[in-house]
Amino acid sequence: MRHIVHILENDFRNFFRYKWWLVGLISMNLTDLFIMAIVYNRMLNPAIIQQIKSYFNFFAPGLTVTGLFASAFMIGREVNMEKRREVHQYMLSLPMTRFELAFGRVLSGGLRGMVYMSPLLATCFVFVGLPTLEQFLVILVVLFFLAMGISGLSIAIAVSTKSLDKFVTARGLVYYLLFFCSSVFYPFSLIEQLGREGKFPMFLVAFARANPLSNASDLIRSFLLGTPPFSPEMIVSVLIFSAVFTTFAAFAYIKLIERA
Amino acid sequence: MPPIIRTENLTKRFGNFTAVDHLNLEVNEGEILGLLGPNGAGKTTTILMLATVIRPTEGTAYVGGYDVRKNPDKVRELLGVAFQEPKLLWVSTPWDVVNWHAKVCGLSTQERKRRVREVLEALDMWDYRHRSVHALSGGMRKRVEIAKVLIQRPKIAIVDEPTAQIDIVGKHKIWRMLRELREEGTTIILATNELYEADVLSDRVGIMHRGKLLVCDTPQKLKDSIVGGDIVEIQFESDPSPKIVEELEHFREVVKIIKTKASTLRLYLNRVEEVVPKIMSTLMKEGVAVSSIRMSEPSLDDVFAHYTGLTLEEAQKEGG
Ligand SMILES: Nc1ncnc2c1ncn2[C@@H]1O[C@H](COP(=O)(O)OP(=O)(O)OP(=O)(O)O)[C@@H](O)[C@H]1O
Ligand SMILES: [Mg+2]
Repeated sequence: MRHIVHILENDFRNFFRYKWWLVGLISMNLTDLFIMAIVYNRMLNPAIIQQIKSYFNFFAPGLTVTGLFASAFMIGREVNMEKRREVHQYMLSLPMTRFELAFGRVLSGGLRGMVYMSPLLATCFVFVGLPTLEQFLVILVVLFFLAMGISGLSIAIAVSTKSLDKFVTARGLVYYLLFFCSSVFYPFSLIEQLGREGKFPMFLVAFARANPLSNASDLIRSFLLGTPPFSPEMIVSVLIFSAVFTTFAAFAYIKLIERA
Repeated sequence: MPPIIRTENLTKRFGNFTAVDHLNLEVNEGEILGLLGPNGAGKTTTILMLATVIRPTEGTAYVGGYDVRKNPDKVRELLGVAFQEPKLLWVSTPWDVVNWHAKVCGLSTQERKRRVREVLEALDMWDYRHRSVHALSGGMRKRVEIAKVLIQRPKIAIVDEPTAQIDIVGKHKIWRMLRELREEGTTIILATNELYEADVLSDRVGIMHRGKLLVCDTPQKLKDSIVGGDIVEIQFESDPSPKIVEELEHFREVVKIIKTKASTLRLYLNRVEEVVPKIMSTLMKEGVAVSSIRMSEPSLDDVFAHYTGLTLEEAQKEGG
């Protein structure tokens, strides 16, 4: 298990090499939040604004999840690059078990996501509302599992795509699917309404409901804003996603990377 | 003592192409085994299988008694590998690379600091330790790669063309450090396509070609194994008589005699160091005056040519 710490050390060192870039990104995220809040508050249908009170409050938790997604996904880019430069051969030759290596990488990706996300989450607490201690812990645990799932997903994609182009394309598709069909940017009630009116395919509505990004965003909203109402499904969805992709990624990482 | 590494019909196929073909190789504890072969011979592929990085298609290998298929975790604990292509991320620095490697390999903090400094200094990389890898030259990257193993001092070190791209002063330093490593008890596998490197460093040399091991023995025995591989040129004061030539032909070790110039004979023979004194005493007895005598040994290049029917250069063209 000692080696998991070494993997974390290595991956965090690489992460913080981009510290100024990360600071820049977080600042941009926050700027987006304030600008979008102003613009959308004026653009959106008053009926929807009434539902969500203010777009800023609605979007801040969504943005936190977005930031978590983007940063936890970064590990995949590194794993893909290592594979292309055959640095993975070095990793595979190190005196550690395959489990330590694979789990360490997924964990690194997840924890890096948590680090990146924390200023965004803090912004939510400051501007949207404070959770109780229990709620705070639940948010942290759920976001941690979400981050692990995302990190796992990115690693699985990274080892199964040969070129960077393919990795970027696959990442793009995943982004679109997960964000477009989710309640990150707009409330789920709106998606449901569009579905009922036949403007949005029902299977995508179902997907949006099961989407862990929707559920994680809505979980934060339910604790900080009281809307949508809390439901245990929110936690379950994230846990299932996380369990599936953490396992899948660790497995794929070991299998695909060794299959030279 | 059983060999510390033993491969059993070790085979790797990439699609239809067989890169390593039923290789049976033994490495004794504490020796430097040179794996010599032209480009594409299968040296790196063999090494990757021993390091449990890629799985054999057929056969297996035992490293320190552990099967690479069944106990890869145990095998990796014994090994340190310096790869042919430096395995470094562009953004890292030499110091981060070797320091982290030493940590993973379980060196204590104190020892790690001491050795990292010692080795980086010895390899003239100390001043560059905080530069990022993309700003280093090819030879410098190669130095960082070999530094990992020299700091780690594993039970078994596998070095794949450790001095390729490195300047001649650097080569000698690395050779000295590898010898020191061996003296401390490390077994070393040295893959190379430099004959000189294999010759000066190895206790035994295995010659690989097209995935197969052709021979494996000490460099001296390999050279001796070429019939008539040694060459002696004798220049006489005057033309040697046919009787002298006949007498020289009588030596069992002499394979062939050619008259190259008016008063010069070239003898192809075996075990030059034993025969030359005998030849000299025969000539003295006959009262023949010799103005000069020149000896040359076969090189590993001749050995290679002997076993493959190709010079290393030809084989390299064929393989590459
Ligand atoms: N991943 C791979 N896929 C397909 N073929 C491969 C792969 N790796 C190696 N080969 C082939 O296997 C053969 C042996 O390669 P290997 O790298 O083991 O040779 P080598 O003896 O190390 O040569 P060099 O002196 O050039 O380093 C080569 O013909 C090479 O093209
Ligand atoms: Mg090679």
